[in-house]
Amino acid sequence: VQRHSQQESHVHYAQLGTDVTLQCGSVDPEATVTWTANTTDLDASHLNGSRLVLHNVDLSQSGQYSCYEGTSWHLKYRVNLKVGTPPKEPVLMCRSNNYPNGFYCSWHLPSPTYMNDTYDITIIHDSKEIACKKDIPAKNRCYIQYHQVFSSKKYRVTLTATNPLGSSSTTISFDEFSIVKPDPPESVVAKPIAHNPRRLQVTWQYPSSWPDPDSFPLKFFLRYRPLIIDQWQHVELSDGTSHIITDAYAGKEYIIQVAAKDNEIGTWSDWSVAVHATPWTEEPKHLTTEAQGTETTTASTSAFMVAPTARPSDPDDAGN
Amino acid sequence: LNSTDQGTTRHSIQQMYDLTRYLEHQLHTLAASYLNYLGPPFNEPDFDPPRTIGAKAVPSATVDIQEWHSLNDNARLAANYQAYSHLLCHLRTMDGADAAAVPTLHHSLAHFRASLQGLLGSIGGIMAALGYSLPTPEPPPITPKPVPPNFLRKMDDFWLLKELQTWLWRSAKDFNRLRKRVPPSAVMLRLESRRF
Repeated sequence: VQRHSQQESHVHYAQLGTDVTLQCGSVDPEATVTWTANTTDLDASHLNGSRLVLHNVDLSQSGQYSCYEGTSWHLKYRVNLKVGTPPKEPVLMCRSNNYPNGFYCSWHLPSPTYMNDTYDITIIHDSKEIACKKDIPAKNRCYIQYHQVFSSKKYRVTLTATNPLGSSSTTISFDEFSIVKPDPPESVVAKPIAHNPRRLQVTWQYPSSWPDPDSFPLKFFLRYRPLIIDQWQHVELSDGTSHIITDAYAGKEYIIQVAAKDNEIGTWSDWSVAVHATPWTEEPKHLTTEAQGTETTTASTSAFMVAPTARPSDPDDAGN
Repeated sequence: LNSTDQGTTRHSIQQMYDLTRYLEHQLHTLAASYLNYLGPPFNEPDFDPPRTIGAKAVPSATVDIQEWHSLNDNARLAANYQAYSHLLCHLRTMDGADAAAVPTLHHSLAHFRASLQGLLGSIGGIMAALGYSLPTPEPPPITPKPVPPNFLRKMDDFWLLKELQTWLWRSAKDFNRLRKRVPPSAVMLRLESRRF
């Protein structure tokens, strides 16, 4: 039977778990019709006259529903059913990793809605609204440039998430200095020091995203431990980007990480990528003479950067 | 400045910077107890009231970022000196009668004021050592005014503490930058010895 399928398509949004009734357009409620779901005929048990009734819909019931007049198989109505949920309260976070240039705000929904969600963000500071430049690659993120610094007034950010089933919003307020959190230090390198079996030299660089180290110097937190021991040792360094560990266990491989913080404000960065190194060790004496002739430094240096096996715990407790 | 004076000045700048950091920590504790003493909503983290008329008289540390970058050492020291001169006057009016009802708070306030007075003196000393003239003290805009209602007075105190915190944060940046720009005396000695 040839089905005439020319018909404008409609959309119907339904909340997950609710009952849905689809009208067959303007057809008489008591007329005889046939409904198909994605070209599969639906049996009469779902029909209430010419209306289609779906109970406790789930995601799999999203799709195209078509209604045909019973005898002529003429398509009378077509609707796209979209099943999902209204947005829950979005999770919003703002952070300045390139202070004092500006800060970014990023957000996500605590659970999926299976719908096209749109977001609207407003930022108020000193009773004025500030523009938040959408971050093209990262959809759920935007950037605010500072024009003034050392402000005692709070920033107030409100984010509203909306989709066809509803909307929800979150508001946070914070002081300029409280959201400063640098990126982790970069280019961390650990090396043994010749003839020093208990020392390791560690060097690192400012995060490249930190724009003005002169005016806004960072202090650093170094943690290190032999692989065979779980307990970290810590040292805080307020100047410079290098440190010599002087109490390393001879011959033991060490794991080393560094975190950064503005000297006065904000919170510690995440830990840097972990690096490994083993202190210098004496050449074993029993080797043959010509081997001894050449001074060899056995330094099992594996000063390479290893992706962290497990993400370092948030170093915020590092500061305690 | 010859190398000895240079060394002394650099040491004084380091001390001024350390005192600023000490004041930051001291204020952090003082502000927490004072706001708890003022009670809700003043001690609530999200409390963000409009600035009252009284609070507008308190010098604000907020500055255009390009302008701040362009300030030279003299201008930075002068801005700090002027700010703390005013802030100290405001701080004196903060010592309300009821604060005496809480002796520990009263004592902390007095101790903080004395330390801040010390910082003001330190800034003045370093300006003189660097050959800068002290800014002419403008009469602070505190004219005897009718005592505002209790809530508004608390709002003034709230904003004063907030501005003090922000100024100390800005000063730490200014003084940290300054101490890097005054070379250690050893460097000066080498420079001088090379000259003869």
